[in-house]
Amino acid sequence: MSDRPLPTETPPEPAAEQGDRFAALYPSEEGIRAQVARRQRVATGWRVAFLAATSLAVVILSTLLLSIINQSFGLVAEQTDIPEAQLVADHYKSQVLGATNVLLATEDDADIAAGIAADANGIGLLGYAVYADNGAALQALSVDGVAPTAETVATGTYPLTRPLLLYSSAAILSDKPQVAAFLLYTLQHAEEVMSELGAFPADATALAEQAAALATTLGLDPAAPIDPAAYEGDIVISGSSTLNPVTREIARRFRGEGFQGAIKISSVGTVAGFEAFCAESADLVDASRPITTVETAACAANNLTPLSVQVGLDPVVVAVNSANTFAADVNGEQLAALFTTATNWSEVVAGWPADAIHRFLPTTDSGTMDVFVNTVFGGRTLADLPYDALVQIFKANVTAGRCRAIEAEQRFYADSFVCDTEEAFTARCQSDAAPTGCVLEPRDKGSLVALIQADVVNPVVQQAWFLAESLFRREEIMAEARQAYPTADVHFRRWLTLDFLTRPQSSQPELAGVRTAILGSLWVVAIGILVGFPVGVGAAIYLEEYADKRRRFNRFIQTNINNLAGVPSIIYGLLGLTVFVRVLEPITSGAVFGVGDATTANGRTILSAGLTLALLILPVIIISAQEAIKAVPSSLREASLGLGATKWQTIWNHVVPNAIGGIMTGVILAMSRIIGETAPLVVVGASTFITTDPTGPFSKFTTLPTQIFQWTSRPQQTFLLIAGAAIIVLLVLLFILNAFAIYLRNRYARRIG
Amino acid sequence: MTTLAHDPSGGPFAIEAQALNIYYGSFRAVKDINLRFSTHKITALIGPSGCGKSTVLRAFNRMNDLIPISRTEGTVLFHGKNIYDADVDPVQVRRRVGMVFQKPNPFPKTIYENVAWGARINGFKGNKADMDALVEESLRDAAVWDDVKDKLFQSGLSLSGGQQQRLCIARAIATRPELILMDEPASALDPISTLRIEELIQDLKKNYTILIVTHNMQQAARASDYTAFFNMDTDRAGYLVEYGQTDQVFTSPKSEMTEQYITGRFG
Ligand SMILES: Nc1ncnc2c1ncn2[C@@H]1O[C@H](COP(=O)(O)OP(=O)(O)OP(=O)(O)O)[C@@H](O)[C@H]1O
Ligand SMILES: [Mg+2]
Repeated sequence: MSDRPLPTETPPEPAAEQGDRFAALYPSEEGIRAQVARRQRVATGWRVAFLAATSLAVVILSTLLLSIINQSFGLVAEQTDIPEAQLVADHYKSQVLGATNVLLATEDDADIAAGIAADANGIGLLGYAVYADNGAALQALSVDGVAPTAETVATGTYPLTRPLLLYSSAAILSDKPQVAAFLLYTLQHAEEVMSELGAFPADATALAEQAAALATTLGLDPAAPIDPAAYEGDIVISGSSTLNPVTREIARRFRGEGFQGAIKISSVGTVAGFEAFCAESADLVDASRPITTVETAACAANNLTPLSVQVGLDPVVVAVNSANTFAADVNGEQLAALFTTATNWSEVVAGWPADAIHRFLPTTDSGTMDVFVNTVFGGRTLADLPYDALVQIFKANVTAGRCRAIEAEQRFYADSFVCDTEEAFTARCQSDAAPTGCVLEPRDKGSLVALIQADVVNPVVQQAWFLAESLFRREEIMAEARQAYPTADVHFRRWLTLDFLTRPQSSQPELAGVRTAILGSLWVVAIGILVGFPVGVGAAIYLEEYADKRRRFNRFIQTNINNLAGVPSIIYGLLGLTVFVRVLEPITSGAVFGVGDATTANGRTILSAGLTLALLILPVIIISAQEAIKAVPSSLREASLGLGATKWQTIWNHVVPNAIGGIMTGVILAMSRIIGETAPLVVVGASTFITTDPTGPFSKFTTLPTQIFQWTSRPQQTFLLIAGAAIIVLLVLLFILNAFAIYLRNRYARRIG
Repeated sequence: MTTLAHDPSGGPFAIEAQALNIYYGSFRAVKDINLRFSTHKITALIGPSGCGKSTVLRAFNRMNDLIPISRTEGTVLFHGKNIYDADVDPVQVRRRVGMVFQKPNPFPKTIYENVAWGARINGFKGNKADMDALVEESLRDAAVWDDVKDKLFQSGLSLSGGQQQRLCIARAIATRPELILMDEPASALDPISTLRIEELIQDLKKNYTILIVTHNMQQAARASDYTAFFNMDTDRAGYLVEYGQTDQVFTSPKSEMTEQYITGRFG
């Protein structure tokens, strides 16, 4: 078949002249080098420009992030009507004092000691000094294996230790030099006197530093000892019985060194001491605990700014009768039982006798009780208290009218009334304007705690400082705040807390949270994606695979979709308002399904908002899905069709799986867009203030960005701070949703790969 | 040139084109094609680039339908029925007329799934074991079994070009078509792979009617029973110049043009 000769001609030589002509049009060898170098310089220039653009973006984004973080943490001066900790402590104090067999409750440690000494089943709480005086008749229990000794107290390992303090005010110290002298003298002699009395002085250097600081503020020579003979006038001291023997001994020496005036010392307990001080009837307070904000507030009413020095430490002793052979060491839980729930010893520890516990206690007002409750029940919050106790706290701290109004809103108990009466409540429910309490289930504990926090604790942030200043100007801010808000508690606060995530909206920024908004956002975005995704991908498949692009009508539709992607979102909001909220109201309100929310019964629901957002993202999803479908090579379609597959089999088995990565990228972009969308939702009717969680597509709602927008438009600074925290929540939410979508995309893409 | 109605072989015909004219928009790509293909024979379609070989080949399983601007006039008789009749579903046609493309195009799925998918969508009723057997046999028939038997569940894209093409052949024969259209199946392959594909095509002849487009004269001469030579007319439309037994076309072509083309003097 191929015996014919192969072609013999050689290929024609390229015409030399022509080759030269074109070669001459290129630069010479040297020129080529220069030309390549020039092109490389241009390339480098562009690379630098792109690097600069990237760096700029990174800088801007990190500045944004830092400024948000800066806003979300920092010092605050927080004012409360009654601190939550005090409500909790009061509850436990009443538990302790209300326990069975409280044989004695007194201010006087000596009486407590005597009581325990005389009762084999006695147990009690008292200061170390008095315990030491009655050493033979009493024995001290160790707590968590630590007995109260000089060493364990000084190192702070014995848990029931409290500071011993002396309080005065700058005004008193400057008005009455004799008081200032006595205070300084006390600091100078505390170590010696307290050691002699068997009490626990503060660290020697700490005492010396405090003395030096005080002397400097008073304009005295820090190095020179006080000469009592140089002073005259009265000194009135009031307060803790624990510190009383020390003060007495110091006063004796003060007089002994020639003081001419009178020193009046009364042992009335720390609480009464502060009361006297703030009422301007005492110059110095012997205190066995720091002053509370409530007491500070009382002092502030008389223009007194308290000032304190610490002279010593005092362990509270848990003492039992020396004849008690079984109890030696207790832990926190057993302590709680010993002083509250248990009636017999055997209820505390199984092997102990079944005899009744006889309790000898200090009073509510004593520092001993404070330190005991704070140590044993410290760290508990209102949420740890039983429901009944919370009801009592609420009732005790609000007006009767407020309490009735709250009960009308939602009852405390299903079968009884706390502030209202049965008849009055029934009558109210029969009137036209029946309150919601007539139909609602009784409150739960969470809502009651929230109520107490809002009505009783009532925290108000007087001022807040951003993170940067809080870190770098801490001391100045502290001083500033003490000056401007003497009764406020200055502490470091994270605005982004677990509480912030789980609490509903509130008109008090200190108590407001984003739970309602997070749930609203999730619902709305879910509906938007669930509707927008299938419709958008379906449309993209139709436009790419079925529609004949040569037809003018299809090109017109395509152009319109491209344009819709650029329409401002507010227009979609208006469309949603007209179509979903108004025209389709029976459907979007849930009325036709009979499931609508009776309290709203209009179309401003999650469903309307979700559908509006679905419209908003349709163009984005369609366009990105179209691009992804276009990118599937036609050779794949031919391979599939060539095997006898139908068009649909080809699309479903080959086109969509190969395009899914790109399609999902579009969905992720769409989700990122709608999760931050505000304007259309405001138009469609996101609630401005809503505290109830959405329960379904027909609920009223708010979303995170809406909430942030509303908070930022409030005048109070605190709302700006929680808006910052909410922005972080929004970013994290977005991050989580995107990560989930990307995970799905990768998983699916791997499966088809 | 006048149209030649060839009937070189006699015997039963697998498919027949009558007065076939194919247009892309207003451009007529091929004109007045009359061709019959004998059952269980290999027919090579040769001709210079752009003369419409692929266009004609694709007319036999209505692949040109996928090109929106294309239009086909004339008749293609398959089992006595014009496949371009309005009541014919192109899917039915493609089910029975398989195709192997110039560029290997395995699915981005596993090797196993590449072969099994066609069977599955076409109603293969066997159980898992039957499917396994079908996949293995198809891969063996396509002479690629030894290359892939240890990695059946890796992606088809992980194979070499030659292996991919044989996989595509396995995919095509797994559905048991009557006809296999091959458009330059070895053009992207090295000489060794090309030879293997040629041997493979010889083996397949037992069961299938094969139409193969090729630019490789040796290949056409070696591997085919019949050869159809196309050329481009002055209006750039392709037409059939000569059709006959391969030996005859290569040793004593009737047309001067054929002779020039196969000796490499033009094209
Ligand atoms: N999709 C298309 N749209 C428009 N014109 C096309 C299209 N496909 C092919 N053509 C034209 O039809 C003519 C025949 O093309 P075809 O691909 O059938 O040639 P061929 O013989 O297969 O060439 P080759 O040997 O290079 O593959 C060419 O002029 C080509 O430009
Ligand atoms: Mg071709």
